[in-house]
Amino acid sequence: MSALSPIRPGRLRRRLTIAFMLVAALSGAALAAGSYLVARESRLDDSVERALDQSRFNLEFASAVLAPPQSRTEAVRQLLDALERRSGFATAVSVEGQDFSSSISIRAAQAPPDLVAQVRRGQLAYQRTEVAGVPYLVVGGRVSEAELYFFFTEAQLFDELGQLRTILLVGLALLVLVAGGVGALVARRTLAPVAEASAAARSLAEGLLATRLPPGGRDEFGAWAASFNEMADALEGKIAALSEAQARERRFTSDVAHELRTPVTALVGEASLLSEHLDRMPPEARRPAELVVADIARLRRLVEDLMEISRLDAGQGAVRLEPVDLATLVGTTIRARGWSDRVRVEGAGTVLESDRRRLEQIVANLVGNALEHGGRDVALRTGADGVGAFVEVEDHGGGMTPEHLQRIFDRFYKADPSRTGSGSGLGLAIALENARLLGGEIEVWSEPGRGSRFTLRLPLPVAKPLQSGDGPVAGAAQDEAHNRAGG
Amino acid sequence: MDERVLLVEDDSSIREVAALGLTQAGFAVTTASDGRQALLEFRQGSFDLVVLDVMLPELDGFEVCREIRRESRVPIVMLSARSDTVDVVVGLELGADDYVTKPFELPELVARARAVMRRAGEDPPEQALAVGALEIDPAGFEVRRDGERIELTATEFRLLLELARRPRQVFTRELLLERVWSYDYLGDSRLVDVAIQRLRAKVEADPKHPTLLQTVRGVGYRLDPSG
Repeated sequence: MSALSPIRPGRLRRRLTIAFMLVAALSGAALAAGSYLVARESRLDDSVERALDQSRFNLEFASAVLAPPQSRTEAVRQLLDALERRSGFATAVSVEGQDFSSSISIRAAQAPPDLVAQVRRGQLAYQRTEVAGVPYLVVGGRVSEAELYFFFTEAQLFDELGQLRTILLVGLALLVLVAGGVGALVARRTLAPVAEASAAARSLAEGLLATRLPPGGRDEFGAWAASFNEMADALEGKIAALSEAQARERRFTSDVAHELRTPVTALVGEASLLSEHLDRMPPEARRPAELVVADIARLRRLVEDLMEISRLDAGQGAVRLEPVDLATLVGTTIRARGWSDRVRVEGAGTVLESDRRRLEQIVANLVGNALEHGGRDVALRTGADGVGAFVEVEDHGGGMTPEHLQRIFDRFYKADPSRTGSGSGLGLAIALENARLLGGEIEVWSEPGRGSRFTLRLPLPVAKPLQSGDGPVAGAAQDEAHNRAGG
Repeated sequence: MDERVLLVEDDSSIREVAALGLTQAGFAVTTASDGRQALLEFRQGSFDLVVLDVMLPELDGFEVCREIRRESRVPIVMLSARSDTVDVVVGLELGADDYVTKPFELPELVARARAVMRRAGEDPPEQALAVGALEIDPAGFEVRRDGERIELTATEFRLLLELARRPRQVFTRELLLERVWSYDYLGDSRLVDVAIQRLRAKVEADPKHPTLLQTVRGVGYRLDPSG
């Protein structure tokens, strides 16, 4: 049987079994009924035949015995005595209103009235009747004035017929049961390859691409298994090729990003030298130089984001867990980027185990996105609720339609293609990848005309307060002298 | 007097622009374009700072770093391709004092260069400290353990001094980054962790079971003079 997964008897198997049983029951019943009826008919005819023979003999004997000159009563007595010696029947005689009988339970009056009428007309006749629950074949005839009735008991005959019936019924029941068993077996053996194939298809669907069916015989199922395996081969090949292509593409992206890094590093340096001399440039050179500086900054962001996303794709993102205070981190991030006067920050400090650098990047990407698309009035809230820790970034900008919302985390997706912002188009995708790397999620709510809200949700481990130390807990430094020129 | 910087970078554009930026910031810059040339230059002159790219022809940045550390405790700033791989940690473990990730902006490089050199130089004269078996002499830039001289880099020395000035006090990584590395915000806390490891290897009797430089889980580090 299948080693892939336990086979559940399906409806088809049940139906096949039932059909088998029905066919067996119907044909068996017809056969049994037919043979029973034939047997019964012949036995009953046989019984009548024998009874009539015996009766004719009896009547001849009676006509001899009942001949005068003997007194009627005496003659009847002799007749009954003589007949009683013969077994198999009881005799009742009715002569001139007098009844005689060879058995105490039998009387001439018990003969069925139809029979009596026929006998009185002088015919030899028979009819079946029951006396005290015992079946009799009654044969009647007339000898001069006397009506003679011979009661042949048929109890044994009917017993035998009853037995035959019981045997046939039991046989029929057995036949149906055997048919059911055979049907189930046949159905099971026939359908086993189907069950195996469906288990194999299921495991293929679950991603076990190496799943194959055992090669069958030369029947239809064998052919089926062969074509199933061909399909699985093709599928496995396709998927391998696809993921190979995807890996190649990712490698290419990564290579491109890394190759760009060197010239971009040079450009960034050159731009910072250039930007110090913008004031002293002739007016016609100054604007282009400013644009060059700005575009280089954009190019730098793009290359950095490309590198980051290719690193995330390659699964190279090392997560460095350490205790992080969410409120402090958010405050530092906002200050470091000079957004303090454009973003309203509120919320309680929440300490969690996370990766500081990645968290900072997520927050910066979300806030940067809000500032770019939402314009002024960006609100940032941190805290923890029943679900975990959260950072909520809300803007009151244009908002997004549901179609845009659906694709907002796609790479290089821009809700408004005509808008060429300073972002790389990868910020939200990177934020989401990072959030997932930290075991979190980013939820987004947006309504056209009302604004958008991005909520970073992070898992909160069993809360434990910072260990009490007598040292100062370093907040952000207030000294802005060494402002790192960040993103 | 201008501080002398040895800039090692194989890409000519980056080399030239970084040299320009450092020169404009007041450094005297010597350049080298591969690892071998870097070591030659380093041995010929005397430098206050080495800015070292990781990916170099001939001899890579790690090798150069290792060689320089064998001979000198001059501050070293690595130019790293990326910040979250082993590159950075390997560089720090080999004795680099700090790193800058490409692509970087010139002010960032200059700020790092100044910060790392401030550690090595301009210390106000200070009384010698005795912490357990250690003797720290800020004026002479010297540390002795049971009278025996221990070679520390500028960063390691500043870190030890910072911890030793307030024994038993717990320092968070952020605070140490600010005081020793001059990071205002979001410095890489691996700088602290690796420097503590290197320091332990030099000053602890048994570096695997540190008693002097203790980790306070979830918070930071402290120096326990009884250790």
